[in-house]
Amino acid sequence: MREPEPRGLELHVVHAGYGLRPVLAGVSMRAEPGRVTGLIGPNGSGKTTLVRVASRGLRPSAGSVTVAGVDPYAVSARLSARIVGVVPQELAPAFEYTVLELVLMGRAPHRSRWGAGTEDWAHARRAMGAANVLHLADRPIGELSGGERQRAVLAQALAQDTPILLLDEPTTHLDIRHLVEILGLVRGLARDEGRTVLVIFHDLNLASAYCDEIVALSEGRVVAAGSPEHVITRGLVRDVFGLEADVAPAGVTGRPSVVLSPPVAAASPNPLGAPRAHVVGGAGRGASVMRALAERGFAVSTGVLHVGDTDAAVAERLNLLRISVPPFSIIDAASARDVRSMMAEASLVVVCDAPFGPGNVENLRAALHVARSGGAVALLQQVPIEERDFTGGEATALWRELASCATTYGSVDAVLGAVGPRD
Amino acid sequence: MRTIRRRWAIPALGALLVGAVLAGVAFGTIGIAPATSVRLMLWKLHLAHRPAGVAESTAVILFQLRLPRVLLAALVGAALAAAGTVFQALFRNPMADPAIIGVSSGAALGAIVVILLGAGEALDAMGVSAAAFVGALLTAFVVYRLARLGPSVQVATLLLSGIAVAAIVSAVISLVMTFSGQNIRSIYFWLLGGLGARGWQSVIAALPFVAVGMALAAASAPDLNLIALGDERAAQLGLPVDRFKVVTLATGSLLTAAAVSVSGLIGFVGLMTPHILRLVVGADHRRLLPASILGGASFMILADLVARTAVRPEEIPVGAVTAVLGGPFFLYLLRRERRAAGARA
Repeated sequence: MREPEPRGLELHVVHAGYGLRPVLAGVSMRAEPGRVTGLIGPNGSGKTTLVRVASRGLRPSAGSVTVAGVDPYAVSARLSARIVGVVPQELAPAFEYTVLELVLMGRAPHRSRWGAGTEDWAHARRAMGAANVLHLADRPIGELSGGERQRAVLAQALAQDTPILLLDEPTTHLDIRHLVEILGLVRGLARDEGRTVLVIFHDLNLASAYCDEIVALSEGRVVAAGSPEHVITRGLVRDVFGLEADVAPAGVTGRPSVVLSPPVAAASPNPLGAPRAHVVGGAGRGASVMRALAERGFAVSTGVLHVGDTDAAVAERLNLLRISVPPFSIIDAASARDVRSMMAEASLVVVCDAPFGPGNVENLRAALHVARSGGAVALLQQVPIEERDFTGGEATALWRELASCATTYGSVDAVLGAVGPRD
Repeated sequence: MRTIRRRWAIPALGALLVGAVLAGVAFGTIGIAPATSVRLMLWKLHLAHRPAGVAESTAVILFQLRLPRVLLAALVGAALAAAGTVFQALFRNPMADPAIIGVSSGAALGAIVVILLGAGEALDAMGVSAAAFVGALLTAFVVYRLARLGPSVQVATLLLSGIAVAAIVSAVISLVMTFSGQNIRSIYFWLLGGLGARGWQSVIAALPFVAVGMALAAASAPDLNLIALGDERAAQLGLPVDRFKVVTLATGSLLTAAAVSVSGLIGFVGLMTPHILRLVVGADHRRLLPASILGGASFMILADLVARTAVRPEEIPVGAVTAVLGGPFFLYLLRRERRAAGARA
């Protein structure tokens, strides 16, 4: 057990709701100084309510809230506002304030009633600089774009200069450049300035890339909490969001990345009476063909693929008939035999423009064998064979020979056009 | 350009008020030149010798008739404009005005009840103002409760609540007036809105209420900015929202009551003044409130000047003058507001 960090945010078995409608049902979580904590969960899971509870906006019906060692409901609104700052999703002032006026309002919990002191000006200017709205200082907010407005609101919260900052989807209206800029800034607030930062994310990949800790909420309860690797998993996406998705480490962060795709209609390995197409892929070059053929009602088989290959993962997701061998291994005799008979029984073999090396060149030999014995073979060539031949010439020779007894197509659509709709 | 305009707006409005006062005292059955007025006032303030060659009657007209009336107009205009500013921020709605939301009617009802019950002359002006304050406060709370459905007050609900409450209050006023016997005529004219002829008595009656109301409004000016962002955001920025709203509703009601109890129902000043000045000085209430106070005072002096000189020797109720100017302005705003709402939808 770690000692509770007095400067952070802590909720202990919090129940809260609106009237008779409970929203948070026993939430315990912690956001620590110097770290960015992400809050994820579907609509209505209680994310915004949690922010409200932590910012003295909704008193919990049971449980306790601690911000920097203080119960916000036991102190004045002013004192609480010096500890916790909030960046709301939307801000709709009744009148046309300028950005500077709006940002100076962030100093309200600190300043004397009328005058904005030099310190207030310094904070406001620094906040506007950080949120990149300094050049908009004198513009009325009604004239700003959605993203500029969102940055102005962020500047207001930054000017508040609180040790704890809660951001409710601060990136909805931002273009990707400002998104990266603002999230970088937010991370700096935690890492460099030691603030406690809690951010609500809808985009799981952003949460994964920018958070040190992630708390997942579902129906008012914490269903997972910990590092992005621990929280962002295929199981969580399925259980919490009800979606099938691929989750794999991605980018330079190596953090889990979620790839969503529309659900596939044809999922059974062998629809009764459906013609079967066999796809030779690899390194992701076969994915779109497999998917398109499956959607057109073909029974699709594929192989030989290496376990861990992108196309192997896609085939698994599409639940296709497939032959696979261990990663980086050379196709063994049994698999080679199997794939030949699988191709021979298919009504069409599509050879995609995958890279070929010693590990998978056997697929080309198999396809050539089928083509010579009269089977229908289609070649998909978007990248010349020379550029993807890693066998020292053998693959190129096989491909050319294949081309002489098969049809070559320049795009996935051309292949599909030749196949025609099944119905 | 914008910053220059904002920096000079308040001094310019101050100069406008001085000009309005001098113009206000200059016209009437006899003309008094501004220079003469200034010299007479300096003499009265013991800052100069009695100016030579000025008739005694001129001094009497200036000090007994014109000046109290002009000062009363200034107080009433300033109070109504300040009340409008406060209500617009509190309701988060630029269409709020003490008359439109029915608070003026509430104040009038309070005042009338006390005038009638208190057997007219016996009760002092303070009592009338206090009763007007109670009436205004009750109406303000009722309308605020009725109009508020979500995070802010929608124009439609605000206007409808205000109209409904004002209609009920007016019905009660009519009922009360039915039993008022010989007072009915004076009450009727008072209701129409006029700065009457009670001279310094009215000024002295209104002054303390207006002063307290303005002090409260001034103290709340920075926080009016916060409440205009919505209750939740204001609380996040450290404002004790519930307490602030009660104090602010009371402030607006006090200012309205102070104006109504000496001048009857004068509409549109509280609507127009903050609206126009927001375009000049911006939305920040730390500038908007003083600007509205100065602007409202000047506007009311000039409106009263028109009321008593336009069809001499008859006098138009000043409420009619402000309505003639303010009514079309209100319709223009309503149309623009609806167009904006349509564009958003």
